[in-house]
Amino acid sequence: MSFKRDKKEEEDGNGNPFQNLEKTSVLQEARTFNETPVNAKKCIHILTKILYLINQGESLGTREATECFFAMTKLFQSKDLVLRRMVYLGIKELSTIAEDVIIVTSSLTKDMTGREDLYRAPAIRASFSITDPTMLQAVECYMKQCIVDRNPSVSSGALVSSLHLSSQSGAGDVVKRWANEAQEALNSDNIMVQYHALGLLNHIRRNDRLAVAKLVNKLIGQSMKSPYAVCYLIRIGSKIIEEDYANGTTTISDTHFLEFVESCLRHKSEMVIYEAAHAIVNLKRTSARELAPAVSILQLFCGSSKATLRFAAVRTMNKVAILYPAAVAAFNMDLEGLIADSNRSVATLAITTLLKTGTESSVERLMKQIATFVAEISDEFKVVVVQAIRTLCTKFPRKHSILMNFLSAMLREEGGLDYKTSIVDTIILIIEENPDAKESGLSHLCEFIEDCEHTSLAVRILHLLGKEGPHSKNPSKYIRFVYNRVILENATVRAAAVSAMAQFGASCPDLLNNVTVLLGRCQMDIDDEVRDRATYYLTILNSSNPSLWKNYISSNDQLVSLSLLEKTLKEHLNGALTETFDLSLVPKTAPTPTVTEDAHNDAMITTNSIQKTPRVTREEVNVERLLQIPGIQRLGPLHKSSPSVQLTESETEYTVSCIKHCFAQHVVLQFDCVNTLSDQLLENVRVDLLLPEGFIVRHVIPCAKLIYGEKESTYVILEYPGDVASSSATFGATLKFIVKDCDPTTGLPDSDEGYDDEYMLEDFEITVADQIQKTKLNNFVVAWDAADSEEWVELEDTYQLSAVNTLQDAVHTIIKFLGLGPANATEKVAEETHTHTLLCSGVFRGGAEVLLRAKLALADGVTMQLTVRSTDTEVAEIVSSAIG
Amino acid sequence: MVFEKLFMKILNKERKPKQISILIIGLNNSGKSTIVNFFKNKDVRKSVSIPTIGFNIEHFENQGVSFTAYDMAGIGRYRNLWEHHFKTCNGIVFVIDSSDRMRLVVVKDELDLLLQHPDLKRRRVPILFFANKMDCIDALSSVKIAAGLNLEKVDNKPWQICSSNALSGEGLQNGVHWLTSQIKECVLTPPDKEVYD
Repeated sequence: MSFKRDKKEEEDGNGNPFQNLEKTSVLQEARTFNETPVNAKKCIHILTKILYLINQGESLGTREATECFFAMTKLFQSKDLVLRRMVYLGIKELSTIAEDVIIVTSSLTKDMTGREDLYRAPAIRASFSITDPTMLQAVECYMKQCIVDRNPSVSSGALVSSLHLSSQSGAGDVVKRWANEAQEALNSDNIMVQYHALGLLNHIRRNDRLAVAKLVNKLIGQSMKSPYAVCYLIRIGSKIIEEDYANGTTTISDTHFLEFVESCLRHKSEMVIYEAAHAIVNLKRTSARELAPAVSILQLFCGSSKATLRFAAVRTMNKVAILYPAAVAAFNMDLEGLIADSNRSVATLAITTLLKTGTESSVERLMKQIATFVAEISDEFKVVVVQAIRTLCTKFPRKHSILMNFLSAMLREEGGLDYKTSIVDTIILIIEENPDAKESGLSHLCEFIEDCEHTSLAVRILHLLGKEGPHSKNPSKYIRFVYNRVILENATVRAAAVSAMAQFGASCPDLLNNVTVLLGRCQMDIDDEVRDRATYYLTILNSSNPSLWKNYISSNDQLVSLSLLEKTLKEHLNGALTETFDLSLVPKTAPTPTVTEDAHNDAMITTNSIQKTPRVTREEVNVERLLQIPGIQRLGPLHKSSPSVQLTESETEYTVSCIKHCFAQHVVLQFDCVNTLSDQLLENVRVDLLLPEGFIVRHVIPCAKLIYGEKESTYVILEYPGDVASSSATFGATLKFIVKDCDPTTGLPDSDEGYDDEYMLEDFEITVADQIQKTKLNNFVVAWDAADSEEWVELEDTYQLSAVNTLQDAVHTIIKFLGLGPANATEKVAEETHTHTLLCSGVFRGGAEVLLRAKLALADGVTMQLTVRSTDTEVAEIVSSAIG
Repeated sequence: MVFEKLFMKILNKERKPKQISILIIGLNNSGKSTIVNFFKNKDVRKSVSIPTIGFNIEHFENQGVSFTAYDMAGIGRYRNLWEHHFKTCNGIVFVIDSSDRMRLVVVKDELDLLLQHPDLKRRRVPILFFANKMDCIDALSSVKIAAGLNLEKVDNKPWQICSSNALSGEGLQNGVHWLTSQIKECVLTPPDKEVYD
């Protein structure tokens, strides 16, 4: 991605003749088209300008485009070959903007069926861009002829146009009728025609899995000439296999197909070989036996003289490194050769792959090598390198000092915000996960903020300093850095620095005096926010009341969702203001996951895909809907919302899915219903539950009207049973409603008379996980040790987990069953170990904290020693019994 | 040198056949494409014509004048596209199906719209009417059609009506002959411009 941009910049430097085009003047020039006789040379130049503008993202208004389009139609009178082909391109570009484009239909049809082969293919493509499905009937016979035409470019053009057309609504059925012709084109000698024919055939059958499988099986038998078609075949096939694998079924044709892919590794075209290797690597069911030949092919490609092949190979290797580190480890030597590659992107990928597979001993050497070229690569690649280092940190905690030094060196260099942010993220991650690295990490960050141009980063680091600094060996050291910010920076950073200083004051009694003096000076600040904060903290610190300090300064455990707090406050202000605002009504939310999700991105070389949208937790979204239920406030804040569970098959008359909203003593079941019958109107829709013992229905909110195709919700509010032990249970459910037949087009009921009907839903469960909100503890060990006291209950038991075969599976299962949040990155199991300890934590509804330690050992299945600590006996019991 | 070049240029311009664009319009199924087809060389003629969608461009020559004919679609929904060419055309051929008595009123409507169009109203553009399909048994005579369309009211444009049979070619040459001479007169020799011929 980035080279492209670089290249473009270079071109710009050389003076792009079209650089300073202006839309209005070009459109003015387009009037030349109306002149007779046509000046072909001039018109070609003007058309080029128009196309350039459109492709640069300039938008034409409907009137402008229409005017231009009609002027262009005049150019059909010229017999100039090049001009005519430019006109085709113009038609294609303008067809979506201009009106009445249909006017050129006959002109194009004439060219399509004419004798000039040079016109025919582009005319077909242009003609399809203006054809709407209603006119398709008229051109159908031409198309059928064109698809099987002897001229390959005509045939290709027709096939590709049909493919585009068939994704338009209403045209699909017509295109389906051309399958026989496409089948015939599949036997063409031309490589492109064959490829396009396969594409069209697959597209026509895409909704019919069996038909696609049949097609693939048939084609595997014949050896196709076109390497493109073979590549495409491999892709279609892998998709089928992947779907089968996901459904848990393996058919004979799958095995058959896998053999075909393996045989493609010996194909004579490099493209096919690579595609086959790529497919094997990406298939989830691939075993070591199948992987080996694919990896050796990739290894071979690494030594190729073509940069594209090397890039592709290394990139796939990178993927392999994540999935099967052991398989790549053997080829580290080849990869190391590529570090010095003249192509920087190949080199970067090689390095990051090596970092993923490398051993602890090689880290130092690799870091040295990276250092030599890191300055030469673009920011995007630097981020990739940083992400690789991040994974390395979690893998080899002992190497933190080398990595940290390297990162801080990178921090000092020039770079954009994204790049700096990813470095700071990484350092913070190291500090959080590795207590040994804390001191050095903090001092690197301190150094960084001394000269940091990014406000957002400075604020984050100051916050971190305030949190971690007071607990370090020498807190006073950090105060200097923090106070420097107050003197030198902008208002936002100064405010953050004031907060950070207050933290020191609250947590380190011996520094209190110094901090109050410094805060006193901040009261003179010119910015309101800074002064307010200084005054606020100073007052609390001067109160000499440690409990106040703890609650209002040093305790960071504000779990209230800020966006929801803002919303409820606004609503409160708009209301009658007769009641006082109750903070406890605002739902607490789980901390949003920070870096763990991004870690998957690092396989990609493009980092543009990182989402910038603010993360909103499921709870925040749901609260808005739930607040519309009258009286919902009485249940207290929302504790947790479960993901949606389907209670029906996806293609039935009515589809229903259920979301469980858990409150302290109640659960709100939200049933999202969709009516897929266009001739029915449902009224008074509700869900009738078969309750297990102990649960009480408090309220049912039916859905008054369920119109065809619209999603509506009905709610049931249940109270949990008194004893926690019976709160996880299975429910039977039936959808009940009144049916009224209605006119499918208008949706109006035929009569007011309806009849009662019901529809069986699948059973669903309320599990322990539904009642636990995960928490993210920064330091699990401290919390765990602190829980070894009177107020906490500890339960311990040993289990045999027979259903899982690997440690990673076991970890996933535990987290899924309990809904707890893993701590200290223990959710990732290192490769080739036989023991693992999973640490996780959460809060049960009602506020009881849960800490869990699971020691896992692998030997004929997984054995687990589970230790649960909780503030509530019953909760501890239910958690430990949930696994068994 | 320079003068010689200039002279050659003038000479070339003189020899080049004149480029004239004419517009062929009329209701659908009146025989426009068939008429155009007749003027093309024998080897490129089509045996069957299908309803035109949008328009077709054809080239033919007559009496040393080179014509670019815009054969427009006559189907109702495309008639509004005619006006895009009014501004640039040098002559209009209006084809009428003389056996279609029912739709003669529609023809009159379209013709009135055309004559009132701002791009044509003040221009002296020759209009040739073909009362086509004269071989049909119940065909109206050209005189009756002219009366039906109130053609005598058209005073600022030269016009002519010819009975024709596009299938056999009867009457076509006469009509086009008239059109060519009219165009030569009012387009190629405008009073305020220099004359080369």
